[in-house]
Amino acid sequence: MVSLDLLLNALAAGLLLGGFYAAVSLGISMAFGLLDIVNIAHPVFVILGSYAAYIMNARFGFDPILTGVLFTPVFYVLGVVLYRIYYASFERKGAESLRGLVFFFGVLFIVEVSLLLAFGVDYRMVEARYIGESIHIGPVGLAYRLLVPFVVGVMLTGALYWFLARTFYGRAVQAVAQDAFALRLMGANPFKVKSIAFGLAIATAALAGALLIMIGPVEPALNREYIGRVFAVAVLGGMGSISGTLVAALLLGVAESLTATFSGPSWSVAVSFAVLLLALAVRPAGLFGR
Amino acid sequence: MVGSRLVLRDVEAGYGAVRVLHGVSIDVNEGETVVLLGTNGNGKSTLIKCIMGIVRPERGEIALERDGERIDLIGRAPEDMVHLGITLVPEGRRLFPKLTVEENLMLGAFRAAARRDIAKNLDLCFEAFPVLRSRRRQLAGSMSGGEQQMLAIGRALMSTPAILLVDEPSVGLAPLLVSRVITTIRDLKERYHLTVLMAEQNFNQAVKIADRGYVIVHGQIAFEGRTEDLTEHELVKKYYLGL
Ligand SMILES: Nc1ncnc2c1ncn2[C@@H]1O[C@H](COP(=O)(O)OP(=O)(O)O)[C@@H](O)[C@H]1O
Ligand SMILES: [Mg+2]
Repeated sequence: MVSLDLLLNALAAGLLLGGFYAAVSLGISMAFGLLDIVNIAHPVFVILGSYAAYIMNARFGFDPILTGVLFTPVFYVLGVVLYRIYYASFERKGAESLRGLVFFFGVLFIVEVSLLLAFGVDYRMVEARYIGESIHIGPVGLAYRLLVPFVVGVMLTGALYWFLARTFYGRAVQAVAQDAFALRLMGANPFKVKSIAFGLAIATAALAGALLIMIGPVEPALNREYIGRVFAVAVLGGMGSISGTLVAALLLGVAESLTATFSGPSWSVAVSFAVLLLALAVRPAGLFGR
Repeated sequence: MVGSRLVLRDVEAGYGAVRVLHGVSIDVNEGETVVLLGTNGNGKSTLIKCIMGIVRPERGEIALERDGERIDLIGRAPEDMVHLGITLVPEGRRLFPKLTVEENLMLGAFRAAARRDIAKNLDLCFEAFPVLRSRRRQLAGSMSGGEQQMLAIGRALMSTPAILLVDEPSVGLAPLLVSRVITTIRDLKERYHLTVLMAEQNFNQAVKIADRGYVIVHGQIAFEGRTEDLTEHELVKKYYLGL
């Protein structure tokens, strides 16, 4: 039963990959779905998180997860500052959509080029004792370099879900794009609410980046490969839905893994676009969109 | 509950070059239900917006008096008013359509001072509007106009307000519902020891619950008095209320 083992292993690897995809997509889903901020630069912040993990690992021997946690507040502040610039230059003037897109494209470009200048085009990676190892459950092998990102990705998703569903600021985040004026009548300041939310969206990239470089080597232009994937996940999940993002990410992970196993890895990138197109055609609001 | 009173003196306000309010003075005393009567376009909403900090008056005073303290309201943001205990049920309800009934209500409790009262306030809301309990998981945008108005009032009550401002709760509702919403405002007012200022065009419904009223015409107070006097006033009957 070699093919059954192969199938089980492909399924397991896909699920693990999916937990990681959720971590990468949360920020996009939040920005587009809850804040109406067209932050197409999100994947490049994930890459930035990867380089943070790389430097701290190469210089000080830090575990990538530790770096991800340490840099989460740094990325939060980065997100808040970025939102304030965006707000002052575009949102306040009511010119957000198209010019906002140009703004975030510019941010993407600047960060990518800065990384290129600082680190070159070489692939970088991190070292940690557990990265090459795996555990076996029956015929299924779970590599730590996928298992750890899965666990951390699911925990990150859970934390964000808890924040949005259970805290006062979280509920305000869910409301702010629907009616910012009404939110003021509830006693909340929409600008502050969006600052916090965008800060958190960017903050997720610190951990997601650490996970990315744990899974495989990273170079500055890798964000381009991820843009299609994160959009597929966010659209399929229903923009702004955190639980939807997780389910969609797991689905995409499994779909990619099965494709890579049975048709060859070169097909797996096409899977995300197929999923994206299918989602747009069949259910534009996504699986969990409201 | 702290005693709170609203005082407006010679308020002049408008939009750009257009002046809408020409020296309006009103008082809303603690525990009163005051109704602001007037047909469309006479400045009811503008006055409410001035109190709430949404429109900034060009001249005049707006103050909240509470525990012998006088708080100047002009220049404060709407969210500050909520923290001072003044909550508005706005024109057009302004619910969050893609959030559930319960999520809308919880947002009403954003005010720090209201957070410890959530369980109690939620119970009172559901008691006053049982339909909100059975629809708590439904999206606000999918409810009927009457249910949405109830939710808007319930959401405002979640902030434990001292002063409740209500802008035309009757708009878009069937007559029977108008009557129900208005009488519920009265019940809630008694139960919560609220002070209420309500803008309405529907004279007959509004006077059912009002202690006092002001008639606003072209941005000026044309008549003020106790409810009995209002109903007797010929001018009011004939010209402004179309009776
Ligand atoms: N945002 C606005 N910009 C310009 N004019 C306005 C605005 N809102 C109201 N007005 C004008 O102010 C006047 C009073 O309006 P409003 O206060 O809404 O009256 P009411 O609530 O009694 O119907 C009307 O003539 C209206 O056209
Ligand atoms: Mg009005």
